[in-house]
Amino acid sequence: MSLSASEIGAAMKDYASQNPCTWCDGCGNYGIWGATKLALVELGLKPWQVLLCYDVGCHGNGSDKTGGYRFHGLHGRVLPLSAGASLANPTVPVIAFGGDGASFSEGVGHLVHAVRSNYQMTFVLHNNANYGLTTGQASALTWQGQPMNSSPNGIPEETLNSMDFIFSLAPTFVARGFSGNIPQLTEILKAAIRHRGFAYVDVLQACPTYNKFATHEWLLEHCYDAAAEGHDPKNFEKARKLAVDTSKRVATGILYQTEEQPAFHERLKPRQGVKTTPVEEVKIVDVSGFLKKFV
Amino acid sequence: MVRLALKIVGAQGQGVNSVGEMCAKGLKRSGYCVFGYREYMSIIKGGHSSYQLDVSADPVRSSATKVDVVVTFNHHGIEKNLRDLKKGGILLHQTSQWKFRKKEDEAYIAEQGIRVLYLPTEEILRKLKAKPILGNVLITAVVWSLLGQKQEQLHELVREQFGHKKDLLELNFACIAEGFTACQQIAPGLSPTLPTPDPKWKNHLLLTGSQAMGLGIIHAGCRVYAGYPMTPSSPILTFIADMQNETGMAVKQAEDEITAAQMMVGAMHMGTRAITATAGGGFDLMTETLSLTGITETPAVFILAQRPGPGTALPTWTAQGDLSMAIGSGHGEFARLVVSASDTQDAFDLLPVAFNYAEEFQIPVIVLTDKQLGEALFTQEPFDQTRAKLKRGRLVTDKAELKKLRSSDRYDPAAPDGVSMRWLPGSEAAVFCAQGDEHTADGSDSEDAENARLQMEKRMKKIAALKAALPEPVYVGPKNPETLIVSWGSNRGVVLDVMECEELKKKSIGYLHYQYLWPLKTEAFEMLSRTAKRTIFVECSHEGQLASLLKRASGRDETQTILKYDGRPFFHDELRDSILTTLQS
Repeated sequence: MSLSASEIGAAMKDYASQNPCTWCDGCGNYGIWGATKLALVELGLKPWQVLLCYDVGCHGNGSDKTGGYRFHGLHGRVLPLSAGASLANPTVPVIAFGGDGASFSEGVGHLVHAVRSNYQMTFVLHNNANYGLTTGQASALTWQGQPMNSSPNGIPEETLNSMDFIFSLAPTFVARGFSGNIPQLTEILKAAIRHRGFAYVDVLQACPTYNKFATHEWLLEHCYDAAAEGHDPKNFEKARKLAVDTSKRVATGILYQTEEQPAFHERLKPRQGVKTTPVEEVKIVDVSGFLKKFV
Repeated sequence: MVRLALKIVGAQGQGVNSVGEMCAKGLKRSGYCVFGYREYMSIIKGGHSSYQLDVSADPVRSSATKVDVVVTFNHHGIEKNLRDLKKGGILLHQTSQWKFRKKEDEAYIAEQGIRVLYLPTEEILRKLKAKPILGNVLITAVVWSLLGQKQEQLHELVREQFGHKKDLLELNFACIAEGFTACQQIAPGLSPTLPTPDPKWKNHLLLTGSQAMGLGIIHAGCRVYAGYPMTPSSPILTFIADMQNETGMAVKQAEDEITAAQMMVGAMHMGTRAITATAGGGFDLMTETLSLTGITETPAVFILAQRPGPGTALPTWTAQGDLSMAIGSGHGEFARLVVSASDTQDAFDLLPVAFNYAEEFQIPVIVLTDKQLGEALFTQEPFDQTRAKLKRGRLVTDKAELKKLRSSDRYDPAAPDGVSMRWLPGSEAAVFCAQGDEHTADGSDSEDAENARLQMEKRMKKIAALKAALPEPVYVGPKNPETLIVSWGSNRGVVLDVMECEELKKKSIGYLHYQYLWPLKTEAFEMLSRTAKRTIFVECSHEGQLASLLKRASGRDETQTILKYDGRPFFHDELRDSILTTLQS
């Protein structure tokens, strides 16, 4: 999809909200919040031109802290909600936000099928490696050996390698950002929103209250810009390797992208060549032509 | 009223449906009203399935327990379905050198004067060098000849199916000719009586409730369908999917029912008309989403196709045990509409209405159906294309009007009847948040007590307004009936058929049919049941769920029930006898 900046583009103030933020001091959500608004403004999108969908969690409490049409739905269900919205009107950019708890546990099935369906939408993963809003339980992405609420001895399960998982699903866009690097995250989000199909944006963020392992400082030290080191996002195998191996350093930026694959709505035969969206097509339909086969 | 019933039985996959459907279509075109009833098991091959056709020149809306002709594909049917035959009935089988193994069976045949006929299908097909699949045409031809119908009518049906393949067509015609010859040989002079046909049925449609519902979905302007297969809702998904190249609808077979429900809600929020359909177990998974639409006030339409529960229970059979779930599921308190279709007319008509109510009141609507309605074959007058109207309530799309909106109009607690303005993402207007948390008028989170009270009252105000807007249940019968029958859903057809039978048509019996089940209207019920000597509820559930609801709402508890919960629908002779017994109690 092409979204050229309109001449009378939006300004940051258009996305401002009167509602005060309720996140902790030093929460990574501030960075993601800021970068999202910047990306929308820089793309020339006005608040009425986008739909932002929120899962339930700390990030979801941001649903009323920004402009844009928004939908704050259920825990784990933001992907199918957004996919349905996008299917109904693929001309409106749809951005879904969800945490690692919702996306890799409660709604992991939706994640699998959203990637393989290549819905026309962006998914921003607020990855703080724990359940913040329910006061710090472990998620599937919590590191080994970390005492958490309800896991005082650390988790007995293996930690899920989220990037390995995502890459196994043949994604068309995978990026990793860091909430502390707002300029880079803004560029990632702009590319994700413009992407043809499902854009997966994993944003590593601090949770100063409950995550004592991947702290802001740790992320600052470990994250590096892969593009600066010559990474080619067209190379699937290299991208996967880079994304999966976080043992020494954490590669950020657009790690993989292809626009060779049509988005879900483009794959639907009956929708091909149709100029209108399903939203514009609501009317009483005369079905008498369909009755003949029943006579 | 003269009725004739024909039952085709055999293992699943043997061609029971194909013979049943061909006979049904041919008979309808010859001027008969046909009601087709399918029984099958939750397996693909094997098992024992049946397709029963009840035929008359008068309206037929139900099946009888006893039939005039049984056609069986295998030897199991000879024994299993022997006792389905009426006195003087015909059993047509295809098992060479068949001998009854039980003395009782032979005695039954003699006593009932049943004619057992053997059709040498394999032999005939071998002679014609035809594949076993053509056995279906051969058997249809024998039945056709037995019913005194003409070969040409069958030719026409076959031509419609294989018209483009000349060789195949000729082979089919040869099978038809052989079938007629065979019938003369095995059943000379034998012909069950069909009433004089009525040409009015010829141009009627022959379709299932699921197909009618699918047509209703398309008619309503629904453009997105998200579903997950589960009997008995699957035929709706299949129908909509098969039609997609003609309708241009966006169809998604989702990864689960939660997804299907969420996609529907997302698409409705964006502003199109979208729907999902499932059975009880799938609906259990959708109830979280149902509750969400209660607070976000997103219009939503769910089809709940009932089958017996709990658990997986009887997947391919019928029930009315999910009424309580439809009205009570989903956490918290919120307004909803529950309607139930009863036949193909209803299935078609109720869909545009369901969408209209969903949008006018910004509520979830649950459309109930069941396996009986979904898979039975109805003879249906062609659908009127002018009756449905598009009503989208307080949806704002006009550019000038959109400009006037404020964010706080979305959930304005002062909105009349609790129904506030709604507008769509992508509209140039003030933006809002469709908020699943308790919220203020613009969708901002709020845990304030006063605000929570106002928003709850706003949403719940819709119930009274909705109830006032709903039609009363439909009443058929004398002004002050001595006996009042109350029922809902697919029972309507059988109740109406029974009321016209010899034993009951002269009695003072009225029928109150509930199409709109929640919010529950009680006025007509209270008025009629107060003067009636007895009130009888007819339901396919163990508890009599509508009876319980009306008892609670009206305080009238001296009612009687006729209940069935074995997965089978009411058969008309069975219901007639139950009503007669109840009247004597």
